[in-house]
Amino acid sequence: MVKTTALIFGHNKYADEIVANVKDKYEQIRIFSLHEDDVQASETKIEIFDLSDKWTELTKNVDISKSMAFCVLEDTAENIFLTISLRANFKELTIIAVASNSESANKLTMAGANKVIPLVETTSDIIANMLEKPISSKILHSILYEESALKIAQIKINKESHFKDEQLTSIDWTRYNGIIVLSVMHEDMKSEFIYSSKAKHHVIREGDILIVVGYETDIAEFEKKIGSNRYVNWSHWGW
Amino acid sequence: MLKRWILDFAYFLDTSKSYQKRKRFFSNILENNKNKYKKYIDIFMVILIFISVAVLIREVKHHVNDELMFFSNYIISFIFFIEYILRLWINSSVSKIIVARAEHDTFLHREVNLLKAFKQVLKVKFAYILSPQALIDLFAILPFFHELRLLRMFILFRVFKLFRYAKSFQTLASVLGTKKFEFLTLGIFAAIVIFISSVLIYVMEGNNPASPINTLFEAVYWSIVTISTVGYGDMVPVTHEGRFVALLVIMAGISVLAFTTSLFVSAFTEKLDEIREIKIIEDVSKLKKFYLVCGYESVSREVARKLSSSGNNVIIIDENLQRIERAKKDGFTALNYNPGRVESYENLNIDMKKQVKAVLCLREDDIENVYAALTIRSINKDVFILSLLINDSNRQKLDFAGINTVVYPQELIGLITKELIGKPVAFEVIHELRSENADVKIDELGVTQRIVDNFPTVGELGNKEFRVVLLGVYKHKRDRFYFNPIDDTLLEIGDYLLVVGYQIFILEFEKYLHTKVKNG
Repeated sequence: MVKTTALIFGHNKYADEIVANVKDKYEQIRIFSLHEDDVQASETKIEIFDLSDKWTELTKNVDISKSMAFCVLEDTAENIFLTISLRANFKELTIIAVASNSESANKLTMAGANKVIPLVETTSDIIANMLEKPISSKILHSILYEESALKIAQIKINKESHFKDEQLTSIDWTRYNGIIVLSVMHEDMKSEFIYSSKAKHHVIREGDILIVVGYETDIAEFEKKIGSNRYVNWSHWGW
Repeated sequence: MLKRWILDFAYFLDTSKSYQKRKRFFSNILENNKNKYKKYIDIFMVILIFISVAVLIREVKHHVNDELMFFSNYIISFIFFIEYILRLWINSSVSKIIVARAEHDTFLHREVNLLKAFKQVLKVKFAYILSPQALIDLFAILPFFHELRLLRMFILFRVFKLFRYAKSFQTLASVLGTKKFEFLTLGIFAAIVIFISSVLIYVMEGNNPASPINTLFEAVYWSIVTISTVGYGDMVPVTHEGRFVALLVIMAGISVLAFTTSLFVSAFTEKLDEIREIKIIEDVSKLKKFYLVCGYESVSREVARKLSSSGNNVIIIDENLQRIERAKKDGFTALNYNPGRVESYENLNIDMKKQVKAVLCLREDDIENVYAALTIRSINKDVFILSLLINDSNRQKLDFAGINTVVYPQELIGLITKELIGKPVAFEVIHELRSENADVKIDELGVTQRIVDNFPTVGELGNKEFRVVLLGVYKHKRDRFYFNPIDDTLLEIGDYLLVVGYQIFILEFEKYLHTKVKNG
């Protein structure tokens, strides 16, 4: 289901950065803070919430099934409590949480977050990669985060797709100029690298997702040729 | 005329590059612990010392081969003599002293007083000659005159030379040196007790025919044997008075022994951290390349762990002792120095240009990071500096401090979130490629002359046979990445191949690229 509302819990630098990056992707962005001071000090509209499990106000004017929650409270314990409270009340809500380290990341996952971003690990991963593999780091960074011509896309195999029922390794990928298929994700949510021994014998079925890298025009052409489209399913975060 | 000649010669030596170079060379191999040849010189000298002592021991009851005797008495002595002269030479600069005096007198419009300069030279040289180490060196040469039997005993002085060559001896001496006053106090106390007890026992026992203690020397011998708690039992007091004195000496002996032991223990305990630190600094100065991490907090901990797990040397410095202790506990080489002070790097003997791969300012405090970065930049203009940015408003200050790359975690969160909500699976795939625990990795392989010779174009690489995906080629000369290049793309030295695959297959592919014989 398409997500139209972003619910950001916490008013801090993380929240500001998230708003700046995702504002074009949602019809509505709502920011919540635990502190009254934030409401008065901020120029943007901020709503007050507490951790008392009373979400009636929220449910009145928000369609939870079309919402995505970002839990970015700076206090780890409060963030975990917020996540568990949201999960307990809204089973279908997609929750992304920011954790200070891997220990609190585990707790947030246990509390029901769909995706947790461990701040320290992510930052240190990026720093270590910058130093040890500067070129690949730069390329991957531009593919992922920058407005580069090179893109990464996930393409779902549907009923009409060319590749349906074909063996993954039997396909001559070179026919599709400019495209590199990195991996395939099965319906059971397991992702396999294109040259892995499991992928070697894999027969492409409806519902599989191909992860491809290429220029925007080449990806679009690839989609057209194989009769499949780019696809996003939030439940994929479970793997 | 002679004066003019001496002055000219002094100026010549002082400005002669070849003379200074030679002097520096000998100074380095004899005194500079960082010099790579010094340890060989030291080992050579230690071997000579042991040969001398072995010959001395052998000579007591057996005939020693004439050649060996000649080697021990003359050759080794001659080598030690050369070493002595070299040390005397490099210890101070005669030409510098003369030139300094000449400059001084000329500046004050006086006639150059060479006598004063010579006095100064003699003072400096004699100060060296009379230093304990130089005296040991001198005595070690004396067995050269081996016909004088007494002088042969001086071979044992060569053993003392070990202090010069073995660092641990120097450490021992410096540790005990810190307790000089305590040892002196103990020595005075022991000397007083020995003196009083010797006189007393002599007075009590000296005239008793049944007593073995008949002379003052025997009394002193008995006192020392008793106070040291050795107690051979070859001499014992026989009178009641004498035995009473023995009781007192035994009690004093116990206290002397306990005091001595505690002095040794406390000296070592107090110096233990310092000794360890000296050892770490020595080890650091021997490292060829390492990452220098300034500050040890959560991000630096993870970065240090990741870098060292991929085989890099990581040195951590932090002014906070608690954080340093934590770093040591985590198994890192950590030193309690302030990253914001130039003298820290001087004390650590770090060569920024040669040794440091990159400096990472990873304190979670922009002020501290800027301070450390500016300090490092003032030492070296080229070293790569990466820093954490905690508050975006300080970005400009970090740039101004000369930091090459700034990592702003909050911004990363925003970017990651954006990508996550758009392409969760693709994001995970890329994230997996970068993760240190994943089987499938992205790697960059440098293109060498050998690779260019054997595989001129991309199509000839044969990466698919190794189950490796060639994501693209990074052309170093043009600073451009060519994604999914066509088979005819020419490879050049300095290019990088960006490959994705299982680590083991990437390694095999890399090995194949480097080992394939031309036209083979």
